[in-house]
Amino acid sequence: MADEKRTPSPIDRVWNFFTSVKLAIVTLIVLASTSILGTIIEQNQPPEKYHQIYEDWAFALMDRLNLFDMYHSMWFLFILVLFTVNLSCCTIDRFPKMLKVVRNPRTKLDGNLEKTLSLSDRWKRKGSLSEWTGKYAGALSASFAKPKVTEDGGEVHLYAETGVASRFGVYVTHLSIIIIFIGAIIGNVFGFKGYVNIPEGESVTQVPVRGGLRMQDLGFTLRCNSFRLETYPSGQPKSYMSDLSVINGGREVLRKTIVVNDPLQYKGIWFYQSSYGQAGGATAQVSVSRKDGAPMGTLALAANEPVPVEGYGIVRGVNYEQNFQGNGPALQVVVEKPGKPAASFWLFQERPDLDRRRNDSVVFSFSGLSSKMFTGLQVAKDPGVNIVWLGCALMVIGLVMAFFLSHQRVWVRLSPGPDGRVEVVLAGSASRNRLAFEKRFEKLQTGVKAAGQ
Amino acid sequence: MSNVILFNLTTVLFGVASALYLGALYAKNEKISAFGTWVCVLAAVVSTAALGLRWYESYRMGIGRIPVTNLYESLVFFAWAVNLFYLVVERKYRNRTFGAFVMPIAFFTMVFAVYNDSSIQPLVPALQSYWLHAHVITCFIGYAAFAVSAGVAVMYLLKARQEQAKISEGVVGLLPPTKMLDDLVYRAIIWGFPFLTAGIITGAAWANYAWGTYWSWDPKETWSLIVWLVYAAFLHARITRGWHGRRAAILSIVGFLSTVMCYLGVNLVLSGLHSYGGG
Repeated sequence: MADEKRTPSPIDRVWNFFTSVKLAIVTLIVLASTSILGTIIEQNQPPEKYHQIYEDWAFALMDRLNLFDMYHSMWFLFILVLFTVNLSCCTIDRFPKMLKVVRNPRTKLDGNLEKTLSLSDRWKRKGSLSEWTGKYAGALSASFAKPKVTEDGGEVHLYAETGVASRFGVYVTHLSIIIIFIGAIIGNVFGFKGYVNIPEGESVTQVPVRGGLRMQDLGFTLRCNSFRLETYPSGQPKSYMSDLSVINGGREVLRKTIVVNDPLQYKGIWFYQSSYGQAGGATAQVSVSRKDGAPMGTLALAANEPVPVEGYGIVRGVNYEQNFQGNGPALQVVVEKPGKPAASFWLFQERPDLDRRRNDSVVFSFSGLSSKMFTGLQVAKDPGVNIVWLGCALMVIGLVMAFFLSHQRVWVRLSPGPDGRVEVVLAGSASRNRLAFEKRFEKLQTGVKAAGQ
Repeated sequence: MSNVILFNLTTVLFGVASALYLGALYAKNEKISAFGTWVCVLAAVVSTAALGLRWYESYRMGIGRIPVTNLYESLVFFAWAVNLFYLVVERKYRNRTFGAFVMPIAFFTMVFAVYNDSSIQPLVPALQSYWLHAHVITCFIGYAAFAVSAGVAVMYLLKARQEQAKISEGVVGLLPPTKMLDDLVYRAIIWGFPFLTAGIITGAAWANYAWGTYWSWDPKETWSLIVWLVYAAFLHARITRGWHGRRAAILSIVGFLSTVMCYLGVNLVLSGLHSYGGG
């Protein structure tokens, strides 16, 4: 491509536009400054809320510019696409050139190269070219890297390098961004995000996604067995947890208690503990036994709901007092037996045996109110997420390679001098962190000079 | 709350160190700034002890968590990191004039912290995760590096203006040569950038583990991306287009202002998921 640049055709001009770093800097700044908008204007709120804040004309303008959901708008997407195209073109343009340079390094220290290198030293030694070649090659191997030896026109060139990987850092970083975007696209196309409330003891087989616009089948049943909330002494929630079961093909295949920051996963679908609340009204727990003490079971009485007791009658909970006449929590029940008038009496939680005094065939005791809770679960399936993590890992690796490694190169040229001695030139360069390389070069200089003395 | 007493002492020490560095600059006296270094070292010891003590005290209160979870704690942690990062720079570059421009950042951060609630509060369930440690530590090392870079950028702008006017006297005359300042502005950013990147990634990983979305364009996330983009622009301008000196220094200061917005502005001005400073 580079060779065709002499006559800039329209195609070349387009290519040059997309491969310029100037475009990259402009795109980065434009992305940064437009992103600010979405942090000032609250995103994805109901229209009524915006109408309260903004004048009608401002609302209409902002709505047209998609500023209420700007990160998903066409124009923002367009900047992101431009950014990605720019990134890809820069890589396609520069990577092969870099690879060529790395594969075929300049192993000979000729006059032109020498002029461009700021770090160099020269000296003379008595003896033969091959003798000093061996000594200096040994010195370089010991303190820097094993050199490549080239003979050319009576001169001998030694070339050694370290940290070539640093040249790849920028490409690894750029590639990582593209990988992250691919992962994000896969997640958006093939995944879903939803939210569901499940009352204790109930199950779901599908969840609403896209803000409730569509129902997504899970392909299995998820049951919330129970929910528990723990609080700090101050009453602030300390942790809340749901005991969940996955039921597939009629049997329980997985059971886990999830808390915030510890989700459940089945078949690529993740369930995250997100919120909780009270499901409907409270129920009173009443245990029933026969006069002789034999237990008959427990009743859960919702307010005014009639519940039958076999061979006895119908029981309803009609009233509850937190502290009935100084006797603690109490439940008022009404019992209707067939063919008899309804009877009403109180049961005290703190005195479970008191009902025996009624001298009936069945004895009730009230063990407290229990309120049924629901658990709020965030549900997500994201088949692209591991690709995103791969990209993230590569990004950190790429940045470290680019910023903390340095491609350091050292040349030694030995040539026969007019006085019969060997003329030696030592030179070096580093792709980055030149100050640190200067120190290393000084050490190398002393070491190589002293070799064989 | 003995940890708070130690943090108050740290504030005083940062103030003394700033005064010594500034005084040394005005009096042109190296000895005064050498004293400043010892005050910084002492402050590092005291603030590290205070963080450790606060951590320990939280365990004794039955809460037990790393002290980086509300505005007060994040401010003192930031000041702690700036001080340490500064000491490394001072040692490496063997120049104490940086202190006059960097230590006041640590000092005013601590002063701001003193005006915030310093009690140890229990953690809400969303913050109870090991990701908290990795996320906060990486972010704040990045922030500290950007603070140092911006402080040095201010020095660069002062020095460059004087060099242009060909004056070498006065306070500014003591500052290191512009070449060194320019190099340090860049060098602090190449330390900060990978840490900020790691901070954003650990935040995303945590968000994904806590509620199933690694990116939701929440204001905090968006501002961290803005900071990242500004420094990415800086690095491209510097490395491939040779932006040195004045323009690079200004971009570094813009980067730090967006960092401050990301760190404090979002919580104090905008709304979002990050808990600290929500009041």
